[in-house]
Amino acid sequence: MVPLQGGLTGHRVQRTIGLLSYIGRRALLGLPLLFIAAFLIVPLALTIIVSFWERVGLKFRPAFSLASYVTIMEGARLDVLLRSIFVAVEATAISLVLAYPIAYFLARKARPAATRIVLVLFTIPFLINYIVRNVAWTGLLGRNGTVNNTLIAAGIVDAPLDWLLYSDFAVFLGLVSTYMPFMIFPLVLSIAAIDRQSLEASVDLGAGSFTTFRRITLPLSLPGIFAAIVFGFVGCLGESAVPIIMGGVGYELLGNTITSSMDVLNYPLAAALSSLVVVLMLILMAGWYLAFDLKTFLGKILEWKS
Amino acid sequence: MWLLIGAVLLILYMPIVPVLVLSIRGDAAGEWTLRWYHDLWQTALILRALRTTAVVALIVGVIASVLGLVAALSIRELGIPRLILLAMLLPLFIPGVSMGLASALFFRLIGIPPSLTTIVIVQSLWALPFATLIILTVMAAFDPVYLEAAYVAGADRWQAFRDIEFPLIAPGIYGAASFSLIISINETIRTSVVQGPWNTIPTYIWSTYKQVGLSPVLYALMGLIIVSTIVLALSYLVLTRPRASRG
Repeated sequence: MVPLQGGLTGHRVQRTIGLLSYIGRRALLGLPLLFIAAFLIVPLALTIIVSFWERVGLKFRPAFSLASYVTIMEGARLDVLLRSIFVAVEATAISLVLAYPIAYFLARKARPAATRIVLVLFTIPFLINYIVRNVAWTGLLGRNGTVNNTLIAAGIVDAPLDWLLYSDFAVFLGLVSTYMPFMIFPLVLSIAAIDRQSLEASVDLGAGSFTTFRRITLPLSLPGIFAAIVFGFVGCLGESAVPIIMGGVGYELLGNTITSSMDVLNYPLAAALSSLVVVLMLILMAGWYLAFDLKTFLGKILEWKS
Repeated sequence: MWLLIGAVLLILYMPIVPVLVLSIRGDAAGEWTLRWYHDLWQTALILRALRTTAVVALIVGVIASVLGLVAALSIRELGIPRLILLAMLLPLFIPGVSMGLASALFFRLIGIPPSLTTIVIVQSLWALPFATLIILTVMAAFDPVYLEAAYVAGADRWQAFRDIEFPLIAPGIYGAASFSLIISINETIRTSVVQGPWNTIPTYIWSTYKQVGLSPVLYALMGLIIVSTIVLALSYLVLTRPRASRG
């Protein structure tokens, strides 16, 4: 009896240890998810909640008030909002038109070694602080900047061009050069992930290269296109430094309206403006999640059982 | 096509060159000097910002790569890969100002004052998607059959991971760490909202630019950021040099 009981207890202890290590392992593996939930999802939800709070003097307190949204819809901020959306759409479109052919070429035509080098070359400017890069542009594009001086010296223009800086042109240049480099990556990934056999099949069936592109490559690279668009669009829409640096005094877009509301401690208004961007982003992300299998997009680097 | 790529790259790199030139140009024409860099070491505020940047970057490098590694493992193990991946990529799709505002409100309402901790948390969030993707890429080249072999040979999960998988995916982890480090020393908007009195080099540049505009010392600081980013990026490349496969 005694040895048997001992054996049973030992077995139970072992099972308990097994269970504990199983729970421990799960808890450890859940840590990143917890990190995102606690420090990103909860704060974003909080932003939406605070957007309905009341502002009292320089403080804010819990309430259910639409005051911030009314302020947005009534004032000049509605114009800012609409113009920001317009600017973001345009800048994203320009970026995509530049990025897609480059990504297509790198994924299909260029040699792997060359692709790697070019991707690195696109990564470095993306990594270098974009505020530094935009500030650097102002030195180049100003009335006495290098570009104007060169143009005058070359006799192309007589007087300095004013529209190079503190203009729509400058803001677009800033937005595109900030967000375009990174848009190339999801595009390259998704185009490279397309099975070569479907391309060969298309050609074998008599389709020309344009038809193959339109019927095979384009639809199959949609997950990457959509990822690039969401990244570029949401980034441009919420961009707060570029309009200040490149647009100059009084150039207002959504992003720097949010920061200036924060500067005057109107957190509910800042939260309401920010919530508009975040909710838009969540809708786009949900659409992405539902419409595309991430596996087709990241298939090369993900091998999971689903 | 190479022409288009060349033109786009030229435009992307064009602003970088004058910063470097202006940061070593003296007052007189044709005079070259490292005076402005030397001046950086004389300014207490800048020294403090440098120290903050370095400390934060090292911590973020460790936290983001460890979290990225665990995230990559959890994508494989927990059975909800799509959801975890989407959550890990989420910070990529939130504008800096929205993320900064959300964090600022959150820390304020739960009573954590702006500090190095808040900076580290916000920057780790921003670095996490990149760290996770880099480690996932390297892990994809690892064949789980080796783990099975280790189990058969009597290893437990931890031993199998430590002795078999970890050494093979280590380059990815170093890569993720150095990439996170680069992200950290360049992050501005998110940091500036939660930093309180702790300036980092980029937030110092940003607030000085907004208040007083450009100066040779500011060019030197920008030059410092550019050069250290390029050096770190090159070391990242060396760390993660592919042996056979390509991502």
